[in-house]
Amino acid sequence: MAQHTQTAGKASLDLDLRSFKPTRGFVTVVVSTLALLLVCVIFAPSAVSAGGLAGSLPFAAIIAIVGLGQMLVVQQGGFDLSLAGGVSLAVVITTHLSGGDDAQLFGAIGLAFVCAVVAGLVNGILVGVLRLNAIVATIGMNALLYGAVFAVSGGVPRITTPLMAEIAGGKIMGIPHSVLFALAIMLIVSFVLKKTVVGRRFEAIGANPAAAHAAGLNVRLYQAMAYVFAQLHYCVAGILISGITREPTAFQGDSLLLPSVAVVVLAGTSLLGGRGFPISTVIAAFFLNQLSQFALAVGVPFSAQTIIQALALVFGIGVYSLRWKQAATKRALKSKTEETDNV
Amino acid sequence: MFKAKTMTAACAAATLTMALAATTVLAETPSWCGPNQASLALLDGFGGNSWRLVTTASGAEEAAKCPSITQYEYADGQGDTQKAISDINSMAARGIKAMVVFGDAGPAVLPALTNAHRAGTIVVPYRVNVGGTEGENYAKFIGSSFVEDGVSWGNWIKEVLPEGGNVLFLSGPAGNSQGVDELAGMKQVLDDKYVFINPEPFAVTNWDPSLTQQVLSAEIAKNDKIDVIVSDFGPSLVGALPVFAEFGRSIPALATSDGNSLSCFWEQNKDANPDFKLFTVATGNDNVRLAVQWAVALATGGTPPTDEIFKAPVFENSVSGTPNPVTCRPDLPGSIYLSAEMADDAQAKAVGQ
Repeated sequence: MAQHTQTAGKASLDLDLRSFKPTRGFVTVVVSTLALLLVCVIFAPSAVSAGGLAGSLPFAAIIAIVGLGQMLVVQQGGFDLSLAGGVSLAVVITTHLSGGDDAQLFGAIGLAFVCAVVAGLVNGILVGVLRLNAIVATIGMNALLYGAVFAVSGGVPRITTPLMAEIAGGKIMGIPHSVLFALAIMLIVSFVLKKTVVGRRFEAIGANPAAAHAAGLNVRLYQAMAYVFAQLHYCVAGILISGITREPTAFQGDSLLLPSVAVVVLAGTSLLGGRGFPISTVIAAFFLNQLSQFALAVGVPFSAQTIIQALALVFGIGVYSLRWKQAATKRALKSKTEETDNV
Repeated sequence: MFKAKTMTAACAAATLTMALAATTVLAETPSWCGPNQASLALLDGFGGNSWRLVTTASGAEEAAKCPSITQYEYADGQGDTQKAISDINSMAARGIKAMVVFGDAGPAVLPALTNAHRAGTIVVPYRVNVGGTEGENYAKFIGSSFVEDGVSWGNWIKEVLPEGGNVLFLSGPAGNSQGVDELAGMKQVLDDKYVFINPEPFAVTNWDPSLTQQVLSAEIAKNDKIDVIVSDFGPSLVGALPVFAEFGRSIPALATSDGNSLSCFWEQNKDANPDFKLFTVATGNDNVRLAVQWAVALATGGTPPTDEIFKAPVFENSVSGTPNPVTCRPDLPGSIYLSAEMADDAQAKAVGQ
């Protein structure tokens, strides 16, 4: 934590230099991903064939987008369990309210965004302003969102509109649109977090809310807004799912909660809050998805995939916990030497 | 039990009135409808998808054929085993004469069913095996012959691929008994020339279209040759089948259960995919009708039907056109089932479109 505050405080001075220096989390994720790709090439070449990737990348993109949303909340030391409801609601609003009619699609998408903002604001006020526990507040919100899902859909899946299928499922030069959406969102999040005053303040508050408050920053506002922007990410993911999957169920968000947390942790964002790593998060999403594809390609039962994701999460937490220990020992040694020097 | 009383309010809200169906029938009283008056409840373990909505509406329609049924109730367990048990207790406490139960939770609901049975209610579980024995734990179990489905698919596969080939079998959650039974049916008919390329006993999809898409793309990438795909939930494949185009391959033959969205998908894609032949068995919404007939017969003193197991009939065959050619109704929602006895537009209404 102390380290984070220091970094955030110096942000304006060495921003440019630091942004080009790969973090440890980034190196870990990239090395793991390359190793996984190598293993795939040797043991399960079909998982890295062009067709195999084309089939699986859209789902990696979805995990990346929800992961980026979850990352914003985790950066503020929170957790957003309303992700499942948020994604599912966007899916059913897009498919049901448009009713298969392209002309009504954009109205439905607009409404989905409005719902996302409302849900995010309620979460934000409960957690940021009224100081409720994030897990409790977002579990409640998730139940409310599922109420809305049932109200809109009655639990019935409906087929997406042809336009939505084209927007989310189409390709430009062989690259699925959903991947381009994920990359664009990643660039925006990275830019805002790392290059704007608002973003720097956001990270500083996540790292040490008390210090940020003392420095005169509006801590509650920033913490609340994390939930709003997180919901917007879930909304985009839900809208894309409604196009990628031709007849999505009304509960499509359920399977995304665990992966969203897994990629945030794998990317090196501390669960205690602080710096976020958008690029690493997106690579981690690719890693996690590729891990599932590898498991499928070598014939591990699909039911084992949740276990694989959980193991990846444990691995991620393990790696960074060890790093903390080392860093803490080093810091302790360093401060001791400084004390001695001063004397 | 006392808590169950509060449940009745919720159940009452879900009650389907007889008025809806009363308009459709009343022409003549079927033999399974006896002279004694009785009340009937349909209890669903999970009611939240289009298949269940059509099934529920079919149950109500069937019950309405019998004027001796004076009261008809419906309760949806919403996928929650506790609620499903509570619903059963509640209906028994209210003195409902007969109940037809879709016991999604399996043997977990058996104690509640047994209690209701001992209290004098006619209990007829259907489709999902809840364990127990007839006469002791419930009045009658009306199963569905999934083995029969497997045999139908197997026979068709032999017709379209007489030289043998690679079969990819997709089913729902890991270890579900429906998939295991269907595989047993296929194995009765298919010999060693037919190789199952999925992990034993079937590729797990949870019947989720999104998971199906991921599993199918992995299987296609892995296997250069897939001659026929077998799935027990046809409409969930609609989103996944276009994956074949990504690999520049034709969609192979498909043996599955019916659904309007699937039939329309075949219609749109058959020209671009020369190997895409389609064979469907009825998806089995009418299983509930047989169960309702049994429950009503036992409760009202009518003659029970001769069938004790629901056998899903073969529905579509794109090769022979018998018993039906593939039928797409683009004017109706994709989430209805043309194989069901219920009228198409009534189904559209049931799924809310």
